[in-house]
Amino acid sequence: MKKRTLAYYLRIYLKILAQDIKSKMSYRADFFISTIGMIATNIAGVLSFWLVFQTFPSINGWNYYEMLFLYGFSLVSATPAQCLFDNNWNLRFQVYSGDFIKYCFRPINVFFYFMSEVFDIKGLGQCIFGIVAVAYAWIKLGIPFEFYSILLLIVAVLSASLFVIAILNLAASACFWLVNAFFVLTLSNQLRDFAKYPLTVFTPALRIAFTFIIPIGYMAYYPSLLFLRPEEVSWIVWLTPIFGIAFFYLSYKVWMKGALAYSGTGS
Amino acid sequence: MKLSKYGSLIKGGIIEQLQFRTSAILVVVCNLLYLLLIYFLWKAIYASAGTDVVNGMTFSDTMIYLVFASALFNFMEMWIAWNMGSDIRDGRIIIDLLRPIPYPLYLFCALSGNCIVKFVTTFMPTAVVVYFVVGGEIHLGWNILWFVLSASISLVINYFINLFVGTICMYTESIWGINIMKEVVVGILSGATIPLVFFPDTIRTIVMYLPFQAIINSPLELLLHTEYSLGQIGEIIGLQVVWLIVIGLLCNAFFNLSVRRITVNGG
Repeated sequence: MKKRTLAYYLRIYLKILAQDIKSKMSYRADFFISTIGMIATNIAGVLSFWLVFQTFPSINGWNYYEMLFLYGFSLVSATPAQCLFDNNWNLRFQVYSGDFIKYCFRPINVFFYFMSEVFDIKGLGQCIFGIVAVAYAWIKLGIPFEFYSILLLIVAVLSASLFVIAILNLAASACFWLVNAFFVLTLSNQLRDFAKYPLTVFTPALRIAFTFIIPIGYMAYYPSLLFLRPEEVSWIVWLTPIFGIAFFYLSYKVWMKGALAYSGTGS
Repeated sequence: MKLSKYGSLIKGGIIEQLQFRTSAILVVVCNLLYLLLIYFLWKAIYASAGTDVVNGMTFSDTMIYLVFASALFNFMEMWIAWNMGSDIRDGRIIIDLLRPIPYPLYLFCALSGNCIVKFVTTFMPTAVVVYFVVGGEIHLGWNILWFVLSASISLVINYFINLFVGTICMYTESIWGINIMKEVVVGILSGATIPLVFFPDTIRTIVMYLPFQAIINSPLELLLHTEYSLGQIGEIIGLQVVWLIVIGLLCNAFFNLSVRRITVNGG
């Protein structure tokens, strides 16, 4: 048996991915319209900030460009979850219908195989939009453009994205135990909207909940502080990468626990 | 008898909707999360504004407007374009097209049954809760009558817009993309996301000439502005009726044109 190196997994991933892209490309019109739709949603998000800032000077001391930065950051950090882990949204149907059992028989990690089956291309449109928003806000805010800050931004985005993925994994894995699991997934998706705004607008109780119970704050707000309000950064922010890895690992374990306990539907 | 035909379709819609209790609860919970988010956001926005009244709206006016906007939005959401899209894809639409009743009318009757249930289960509780939460800031008088009248017209306008979008799905393979674009456009231009009074003057003037404001903004304006004269009320409702007729005719023409060239895969 071949040794399971990272390169081995990457090769397999690309092979499975190619099949998905091929099947998607047979619905080319759908792909283009979906991408435009995705970008339209994001434009609407920015447009609503812009409209608010036409009448009001700030949101809790945050100006338009700072809000734009936060919004763009949340879009970029959501991209890995959107592109690479989107199959989580289908998990419920597969578990319910019994199709999920096929993944359990493959001689490869179930989680890896399941996730590699779908690559959501339209997430890339969202990513590009987010990058443009962050770059525009970056220039307008006059944040120094250095090698160090770019590196920090990349690390910050990657750590934040781990939280988005982990919450998606956890919410999706609820379907291994619950029948009406779409509840959890839809609610967690709705909660993600809270990540697009500064945590300071919420009451202290919610702020604590979003820091220690449901880690919404790490998806965009805390990492963004590194660039927007360096003086407000607390030690918690520097731990984001470690928390992110730990939380992702936890979600992986929970997901796998559900998957390995899955006994099929008997069909 | 002719009436009983429509009556039984409406009844069917009521029974169908009553089956989906869990998803009704989910809609309410998601809506509450959304309302919680906008409550904190607008509170922070008003706190930074420095004055209590902005563009003639106090904080509680804004909240009443947005809560009712989201209640109306949810209550009117008919998922037509989604259902039509998937019915076209798998060919089921042919059964409904062959019925001895025009398809748009058939769909409208079936969906108004759903809407009656949603009105009682989600809209009414919201209205009662809001009334008590804001401590009688909603004036009880003729404005309620105008609101109900106007909202009924909104419902039909919204139906036609949805049917129009559903018909577009006959041409494109895309369902998700088309729908998400419709939701974005209606969400912003109807005033459901941000009250239209906060739009800059030039943009508001343009938006007021579009049909979307007749869905959400018109009924809410009639509810909140008790000082409007009969002439102003007549103007708002008149404009709604004009849009209703224009869009109704346009939509019917487009549907009849498209249905001739529909190709259904088997079915």
